[in-house]
Amino acid sequence: MSSESGKKRKPKVIRSDGAPAEGKRNRSDTEQEGKYYSEEAEVDLRDPGRDYELYKYTCQELQRLMAEIQDLKSRGGKDVAIEIEERRIQSCVHFMTLKKLNRLAHIRLKKGRDQTHEAKQKVDAYHLQLQNLLYEVMHLQKEITKCLEFKSKHEEIDLVSLEEFYKEAPPDISKAEVTMGDPHQQTLARLDWELEQRKRLAEKYRECLSNKEKILKEIEVKKEYLSSLQPRLNSIMQGLAVLPRLECSGTIWAHCNLRLPGSSNSSASASRVAGIIVTQAALELLASSDPPASASQSAGTTGMSQGTLAASLPVQEYLFMPFDQAHKQYETARHLPPPLYVLFVQATAYGQACAHMKSSQPPRQDKTLSVAIEGSVDEAKALFKPPEDSQDDESDSDAEEEQTTKRRRPTLGVQLDDKRKEMLKRHPLSVMLDLKCKDDSVLHLTFYYLMNLNIMTVKAKVTTATELITPISAGDLLSPDSVLSCLYPGDHGKKTPNPANQYQFDKVGILTLSDYVLELGHPYLWVQKLGGLHFPKEQPQQTVIADHSLSASHMETTMKLLKTRVQSRLALHKQFASLEHGIVPVTSDCQYLFPAKVVSHLVKWVTIAHEDYMELHFTKDIVDAGLAGDTNLYYMALIERGTAKLQAAVVLNPGYSSIPPIFQLCLNWKGEKTNSNDDNIRAMEGEVNVCYKELCGPWPSHQLLTNQLQRLCVLLDVYLETESHDDSVEGPKEFPQEKMCLRLFRGPSRMKPFKYNHPQGFFSHR
Amino acid sequence: MERAVPLVVPLGQTEVFQALQRLHMTIFSQSVSPCGKFLAAGNNYGQIAIFSLSAALSSEAKEESKKPVVTFQAHDGPVYSMVSTDRHLLSAGDGEVKAWLWAEMLKKGCKELWRRQPPYRTSLEVPEINALLLVPKENSLILAGGDCQLHTMDLETGTFTRVLRGHTDYIHCLALRERSPEVLSGGEDGAVRLWDLRTAKEVQTIEVYKHEECSRPHNGRWIGCLATDSDWMVCGGGPALTLWHLRSSTPTTVFPIRAPQKHVTFYQDLVLTAAGNSCRVDVFTNLGYRAFSLSF
Repeated sequence: MSSESGKKRKPKVIRSDGAPAEGKRNRSDTEQEGKYYSEEAEVDLRDPGRDYELYKYTCQELQRLMAEIQDLKSRGGKDVAIEIEERRIQSCVHFMTLKKLNRLAHIRLKKGRDQTHEAKQKVDAYHLQLQNLLYEVMHLQKEITKCLEFKSKHEEIDLVSLEEFYKEAPPDISKAEVTMGDPHQQTLARLDWELEQRKRLAEKYRECLSNKEKILKEIEVKKEYLSSLQPRLNSIMQGLAVLPRLECSGTIWAHCNLRLPGSSNSSASASRVAGIIVTQAALELLASSDPPASASQSAGTTGMSQGTLAASLPVQEYLFMPFDQAHKQYETARHLPPPLYVLFVQATAYGQACAHMKSSQPPRQDKTLSVAIEGSVDEAKALFKPPEDSQDDESDSDAEEEQTTKRRRPTLGVQLDDKRKEMLKRHPLSVMLDLKCKDDSVLHLTFYYLMNLNIMTVKAKVTTATELITPISAGDLLSPDSVLSCLYPGDHGKKTPNPANQYQFDKVGILTLSDYVLELGHPYLWVQKLGGLHFPKEQPQQTVIADHSLSASHMETTMKLLKTRVQSRLALHKQFASLEHGIVPVTSDCQYLFPAKVVSHLVKWVTIAHEDYMELHFTKDIVDAGLAGDTNLYYMALIERGTAKLQAAVVLNPGYSSIPPIFQLCLNWKGEKTNSNDDNIRAMEGEVNVCYKELCGPWPSHQLLTNQLQRLCVLLDVYLETESHDDSVEGPKEFPQEKMCLRLFRGPSRMKPFKYNHPQGFFSHR
Repeated sequence: MERAVPLVVPLGQTEVFQALQRLHMTIFSQSVSPCGKFLAAGNNYGQIAIFSLSAALSSEAKEESKKPVVTFQAHDGPVYSMVSTDRHLLSAGDGEVKAWLWAEMLKKGCKELWRRQPPYRTSLEVPEINALLLVPKENSLILAGGDCQLHTMDLETGTFTRVLRGHTDYIHCLALRERSPEVLSGGEDGAVRLWDLRTAKEVQTIEVYKHEECSRPHNGRWIGCLATDSDWMVCGGGPALTLWHLRSSTPTTVFPIRAPQKHVTFYQDLVLTAAGNSCRVDVFTNLGYRAFSLSF
């Protein structure tokens, strides 16, 4: 009953105490939150100590109330019931408070448990982490001990000593300034040096091995040679045995080794020597300075030496000593007539000099110039042996014949024919010159000597490494008739260079030599000069002698000219093939001369005859200026763009590309325009003809012709695009202006901007 | 203006080059020396050649005396215009005026006395000078050309004093009105402009191509030649050669010539003209009647 009494008194306390709580609850109610939740939140706000105090106080109040109720009940009475009721209500309030406190205590307990659980989990995690870390520490310790125990392999390598290293190693490996202070870097550098050295040694080792292999092979080959020599030697011995009056029993070696070209005396005496040891034989040979003895024998032994020659040929072949071949050539050369002999000697010398020069730079085997003699030696000998006699004979017989024929034969024609043939007779021997160019094309030159006219002629032929597709328009380019024409200015090779010949021709009724040129070859002036023949113009009757110095002074320039001639012809040949298909081949190193877009294009490229060119109405200026000789080649090009057609007549000098091709233009567009009625056409001609040096491209300017054609296409573009538009004509312009021009016209002549400026790509006036 | 000399057969590289150069040569300008004995001619390669008129015209003239006495490279570009003062030869072409002493020019290796360049606005291309005109009264030189302006240069000091602006395209030719100090200029834009030298102002503009009687649209509108005798003016080019009365600026006579005109001169009351691409020099009286033609 004490609790009842507590209950009854409690409300005051609660009210005084719970007023703020009540207010809060109200507020939380207004915030529409659940009661339970708010109670939970309330737990955080309330102090547990005070709750405990409240609990204690409530219990005491309850006890007091209970006691009072008991008191009252025991007293009994009427108003007791009311009092008891009041106390009961009070104690009920206290019970409520207790209940609330109980709930709060529950919540607190739960929270406490949760916290404990959380903390426990955390502790567990920390524990695990600790375990891991401990394990890691242990592992690292193990590693450290392992590393400490590590021993590098380089310590086993035996390095060169420090002083030696700094002395020998190159500075980029030793790097003294870095490595001196840092023992680690030093060791690294030393190891590098060691590696370098070992690599080198390995390389050397490999080289030595291959060398050894090679030498072994060579030895093998030589052994084979030696073994196969035995039967050959036997055959030579047999050959020698046949020779009478020769006590040659020993080695033929001396003979072979000491046979120098042109030393027939020594060979004769060598064959006389009966030495066994080579050196001895040589010494004896040198010692045998009794010319009368050898001379007396040489007469008898020349025939035999020929025999030994033949027999020793294989030996020479095997020993790679082509003395005999060279000697044979020299032997034949003796039978050459003087001009051809001069040519032969000079050409050979030049060829050898060239070969030497070449070999000093890159190792090249092929000779650029090779010389050979063709024709039958016997005929030459027959001609040469009794020089006076035969000539006398000829002249005698000629005279006789003349007399006899005059008597006997009335037909003069046949006789004159014979005489002409005699007059134009060639020496049976001729010199072949093969000039090799860089692209493996070869110029074959055959030089002849006309004995009675005392002039030299040449026939030429060009062979190429690859088979050429012959364009129709390139017909004359490589023909033997024209390929060498005008090598030097004005040297057509049609007239005889020897003024004396004219008198001879008059006698036999030959008008000019040009009728016979195809058969005989061309008597160019440079050919005479190569042969050392010099024909002065002032004194026609002066006797002409073959002169070495004249030939030598002309050899180099002529050979160079010949080479460039062949190369430029071959280049033209190739270009013509694509020109005929309407393509202007522009090489990449000439691309900068032209804008990227060129609309005008080549349509036709044909060769035309000289006469046709002369008859064209727009080429009169060139003909008048004497630039259209009959030795030139003539072409017609047609360039088109839309309705505009540009005809270009081209004169190609045989001296292309040092002498530029000449263009004459005729434009068919809104009437016919040529240089005589349109200044701009004239300017276009000037652009390609006079300013050709800009178009040459890289040396030796083989691109000139194609560049000029491409330039014409560009010029036509500019011409058409800048043509002022006639306002009275309806419709758009036929050629819209695409090229970038600074100004359309300039100067009193109202020139169009024909000059192309390369990197910027605009056109301006020259 | 053109010249093609028949030659002995040229064969070598240099001969061919020279022959071609001669074939494509254009002579743009000429001037007679103050003494009247020499003629200077300038071509498109920038060379000036001095010919001796007295030697070429003498009775014992040979082929050599018709060759130039001296030839020298004067400019980089063509020599478009030359005039002679009493001591100097002034030549112009590629944007510069150069002065040469007549007395020294006959010696080999002569050097220009001075060179001047009018103040151009900077441009990718140096504008050319197409015409030179001496104004004796004020001792000055008028230059006109590619930059569409007339520059006046004082010959005493060599400074450029005035600039006359107005043309919209480059100027072809100049002419001086003797009586009143006025200069006429004709240009690519088709206009003939009159300038008063005292005020440096444009006085009058005649746009020739706008007059129907003389316009020839297929030839363009440019005025290539100009001549005046103070009251009258003759001009031609793209439009037909026409005689104008300056005070009323009306065309009075259209001359019947088809090709574009390159040169025209007044002589008393005659009009002499040389057509560009023909061999004739036509002589007209003022009434448009072709009196006769001089022909090569």
